[in-house]
Amino acid sequence: MRVATDIGGTFTDLVCLEIDKESGKPIGVNVAKSDTTPSNFEQGILDTIEKAKIDLNQINFFAHGTTVVINALTERKGAKTALITTKGFRDVLEIARCNRPDLFNFNFVKQPPFVPRYLRFEVEERMNYKGQVIKELNTSTLNSIIAACKQENVRSIAICLLHAYKNPRHEILLVDELSRLFPEVEIIASFQVTREWREYERTSSTALSGYVLPIAKKYLNNLEEKLKEKGLKNAPYIMQSNGGITSINDVKDNPITMVESGPASGVFGAIALGKVINRKDLIVLDIGGTTAKCALVENGQVKITTNYKIEHSRIEAGYPIQTPVIDIVEIGNGGGSIAWIDEGGKLHVGPKSAGAMPGPAAYGRGGKNLTTTDANILTGRIHPDYFLGGELQPDYSSIEEASKPLCKSLKGTKEDIAKGILRIANANMINALKLISVNKGYDPRDFAMVVIGGGGAMHGADLARELQISELIIPPHAGVFSAFGMLMSDIRRDYIRTNVLTLVQKQRHNIQSVFAEMENEALNNFKIDGYTRENITFTYYTDLRYAGQEHYVKVLLSDFDNDTPLEAIIEYFHKEHKKQYSFELDTTVELVNFHLVAEVEVDKPDFPKMKNTGKAIEDAIFDNKEVDFDDLGIHNTPFYHRDLLEPKMTIQGPAIISEKATTTVVTPMHVVHIDEYGNLILTLQKA
Amino acid sequence: MEKFTLEIIQDALVAAGDEMFKTLERTSMSPIIYESLDYAVGITDTKGELLAQGNGVTAFLAALDSVVRATLEKYNETTSLKEGDVIIANTPYAGGGTHLSDVSIVYPVFYDKKLVAFTVNKAHWTELGGTFPGSVSTVATEIYQEGLHFPFIKIKSEGVFNEAVIDMIKANVRLPDSTLGDLYAGIAAAEVGSKRVISIIEKYGLETYKKAKNDFLAYGERMCIEALKEIPNGVYEGETSIEDNGFGEGPFPIKAKVTVTDTEFIADFNGSHPQVKGATNLAFSGLVTGCRSLFKAITTPRMDANGGAFRPMKVLCEPGTIVSAEAPSAVSVYYEVLITSIDLLWKILAPIIPDKLPAGHLRSVCATFISGTHPDTNQFYIQAEPLAGGWGASATHDGNRGQLSCGSGESYNIPIEIREMRYGIQVEQYAFHNEGGGYGEFQGGNGQYLDYKIISDGAHVTAAFLGEKTKTWGMNKGHDGSYNYFMIIRKNGTKERHSLGTNIYLEKGDIVRCVTATGGGYGNPNDRPKEQVLSDVKNGYITKKEAQEFYHIKK
Repeated sequence: MRVATDIGGTFTDLVCLEIDKESGKPIGVNVAKSDTTPSNFEQGILDTIEKAKIDLNQINFFAHGTTVVINALTERKGAKTALITTKGFRDVLEIARCNRPDLFNFNFVKQPPFVPRYLRFEVEERMNYKGQVIKELNTSTLNSIIAACKQENVRSIAICLLHAYKNPRHEILLVDELSRLFPEVEIIASFQVTREWREYERTSSTALSGYVLPIAKKYLNNLEEKLKEKGLKNAPYIMQSNGGITSINDVKDNPITMVESGPASGVFGAIALGKVINRKDLIVLDIGGTTAKCALVENGQVKITTNYKIEHSRIEAGYPIQTPVIDIVEIGNGGGSIAWIDEGGKLHVGPKSAGAMPGPAAYGRGGKNLTTTDANILTGRIHPDYFLGGELQPDYSSIEEASKPLCKSLKGTKEDIAKGILRIANANMINALKLISVNKGYDPRDFAMVVIGGGGAMHGADLARELQISELIIPPHAGVFSAFGMLMSDIRRDYIRTNVLTLVQKQRHNIQSVFAEMENEALNNFKIDGYTRENITFTYYTDLRYAGQEHYVKVLLSDFDNDTPLEAIIEYFHKEHKKQYSFELDTTVELVNFHLVAEVEVDKPDFPKMKNTGKAIEDAIFDNKEVDFDDLGIHNTPFYHRDLLEPKMTIQGPAIISEKATTTVVTPMHVVHIDEYGNLILTLQKA
Repeated sequence: MEKFTLEIIQDALVAAGDEMFKTLERTSMSPIIYESLDYAVGITDTKGELLAQGNGVTAFLAALDSVVRATLEKYNETTSLKEGDVIIANTPYAGGGTHLSDVSIVYPVFYDKKLVAFTVNKAHWTELGGTFPGSVSTVATEIYQEGLHFPFIKIKSEGVFNEAVIDMIKANVRLPDSTLGDLYAGIAAAEVGSKRVISIIEKYGLETYKKAKNDFLAYGERMCIEALKEIPNGVYEGETSIEDNGFGEGPFPIKAKVTVTDTEFIADFNGSHPQVKGATNLAFSGLVTGCRSLFKAITTPRMDANGGAFRPMKVLCEPGTIVSAEAPSAVSVYYEVLITSIDLLWKILAPIIPDKLPAGHLRSVCATFISGTHPDTNQFYIQAEPLAGGWGASATHDGNRGQLSCGSGESYNIPIEIREMRYGIQVEQYAFHNEGGGYGEFQGGNGQYLDYKIISDGAHVTAAFLGEKTKTWGMNKGHDGSYNYFMIIRKNGTKERHSLGTNIYLEKGDIVRCVTATGGGYGNPNDRPKEQVLSDVKNGYITKKEAQEFYHIKK
């Protein structure tokens, strides 16, 4: 049996795939959910294991995704961390990039650094940009730095020296020396986190890694131990932000790679699903309680970036973390997003969310604000028996109360307001979806859309219609799809290095030797987990740009060997550049970053198929009610139990398909087919 | 309800602005655009009313709608603008002009053969020719020394490039690849915006689109008037000065009288000094842009900018002053005058709205231009950038450290690792300094040192650091901060302190130390809790000696 657990902000999810011993084919899926236990995250996992009645002795594959890193960061619960930099540069972390996204607010407050100035130390040393030593490292001051750290009870030390991305020699020497002199603290240097340039971003990444290192290590150790106690034989795999899993020991060395593991696994789950149903170009949308996240998948691949920031918004600069994260756009729009009116009389939805407490007005827990969920109820799209998994009936008087102030200022009925809220929430999501598609030169019509999360299926049909996406896919267990995705992930490590050179024939040798060096690094890392060259698949990417430009285009070097002419790569770059930026230049092309992806394919199960037992579709209908489809009119609409739907069934919209964790809205313009895996496939019909 | 459709169209226009902004950032070849984001993009209606604007800097707020209006003055026949035309302009004295380095791209958008909107952007191009590299001089006396001038010309006619102009640009600038790259990036951004506007119209229809835009402008005006009501009515006056014109002359006074009512905000700069010899002049359209940014800061800082929100504001000034300069006065250091004007309004209004405005900040772009030949590639380089310093403390918090001036915004410093690869310099330190000042119940943010060591064989520096003789101002018994200046530390140890300097020769091994000011303090230093003073000492933000002298801490 294979198990994946995913700790989210509100819930901890578990998905267990039961495999038939004889055939090796999956026979069923077991799902469990329990409350996330922030003081003691591993408890939540044990709770779900208990709930699902799983015997860990029987589990041969255990994957795990956790918010422990992002939580430690956003709640400032990491360890007291010191920073060591090149002499003259300890303030780089605090000066940051000097930008002010809240442009016209002259009374802003800059976000404070994670390491205060009195814990930022300097050592004498210097490299130039070519990685040549121009001042040797002087370690004689380390003793006084250590004394100061001891005095302040520092638990972790981060090291970031100038140009270490090019030559980490001084950082390596420092790590060795510090480990010898001060073994009781955690030590991490920038070269272990990122090999890209830009000293502020690298310093920030390293400081934040140091900050979470002790807490993450402790968590992983506890988890490993407790799972072992309960009978788990093999060490668990851990989900990373790049969409791959890796060994638990690998993550312990550099836990910052887990920072965005939840959304990553949802996207990779969609990619895996796409492979079996033969859809390689996907837009994946995950709508949760507070946010919506989306990503674009082209030919089965999602882009990985290192431009990730936490606490970044339209008004705050945020803190960069240069770690490989799948390229997602996240906006403050989810089921709990609050509708509000500004001084000028304009209606907005989000980014503020009612959360789980008090939650939407419909929860009847004192929520005084109308939310997107309430609007879905007002339009009749959520069946009262399926509200909150059927645990609760919507509190209609509370909704009525919450809608009053909006009705008054906007001079409309509560049904009008509800439709307005849904339109605006959808428009916000459309803008996010355009950011990943149209804005990057992709036509959404060339894609199928996969919607997951509790709210994805509620809004998917309207969004697909707006973007003219003809096919919408709602997988089974869409509400816990992130956990599901982990079962389908391979072991993956991303290696990225800045090494600027001109893309000309005489550099071919250099390009190959940099990649060879990176391959060696990867082989060494994988050796620890017992994998050899034969197990590993390498994929080669380069970040290319026109000389003089700053931003680059990631180019896959497929079949890059001794014979591939560089012209072919350059030609491809021109094409990609034109696609993204609408022009090409007759200028030298530069290579900025080398990006090597090393993957080990794990033995993955097939997606479980669903049997057709010959049920009658009429039996799935449990109610008929009026539902407001906004511009498509109000229709008397059948409500279906999703659990009673089977492959080969077809439903003509309008329809509502209810299940415990989500509701699928089928507009009058859509028709639904249930495929052999139990996916709902919504197809847009020509009007 | 149609109301919601209109809102969605408005949001789509704002999103189109964001998209144009990203396009320009990602395609430009000038660090001053892609790192400093010294540009703005926008959409206007057919009359030049601003519908959406994406900003990297605050200083272009009146630049985009004005440049469209000026374009419409020149091409005033209904047939004179055709589909596929693209206009470029950098005239400082008209149409939201600032200095020649800031070039506008105006892109008329056609739908069904009818003009329906303009997409427009304005960006700081690193090189436009002129006497000195970077097209900035603190000793220019006429605009002719400041670079190429594009007086609202069609760079593209019906989709075809004007190759003659392209050739002229190539022949007249020092970094033609970079300059033309900026041109193409600007056009690409405008094209993207145009496509979005058209798709909005295709989806909702021209009439609904028009209605949405008018509704949006009215909304902006309403939001602004609501905010204006919260500012106490009255007439407030003040005076400041430009210390130096680059020829050792000065100071030159700037005067302002601000009248605030519930529906109007009038900034009257009459009585300011006549335009001066040198490049420290600001044209009137630049003054309007400065006033708009301060006005926005105190009314609708977080609303997406639109023309309606500026309707209640008026700027008055007779022509020919240092803040309303006329042709052919030099203006390449206009930004220092612009920020000084913003700072003047700021200082006048801060006492009545201390929740919106803190004490004085570094008040200078502290722009430096270093040029030379790269020691490894032998290529000519120009490093141009704004510098960060300290901001003033406010009634609620200490001053920020490490921020660019109010004229910048979503601008970034240049990473050391990038600049050392690109330019013939090596950075010796990048750190907060202890030059004193800013004491108060809330402490002003520290200024900083940035030391460049020249490693190419000879280089030149041009820079303008106003505030070399005037400290940043404290507020409500808070102390003043410190000074901006730059110092050249020669190899032999001699030091030269400067405020404005043009093309100063540097030898290999010389160091240019850029010093930005500490911000002003807020409130009486005696009211600062002791533990905070001790924490500042521990962090080295202030010295022990300062703690004793200004906060009376004994230890």
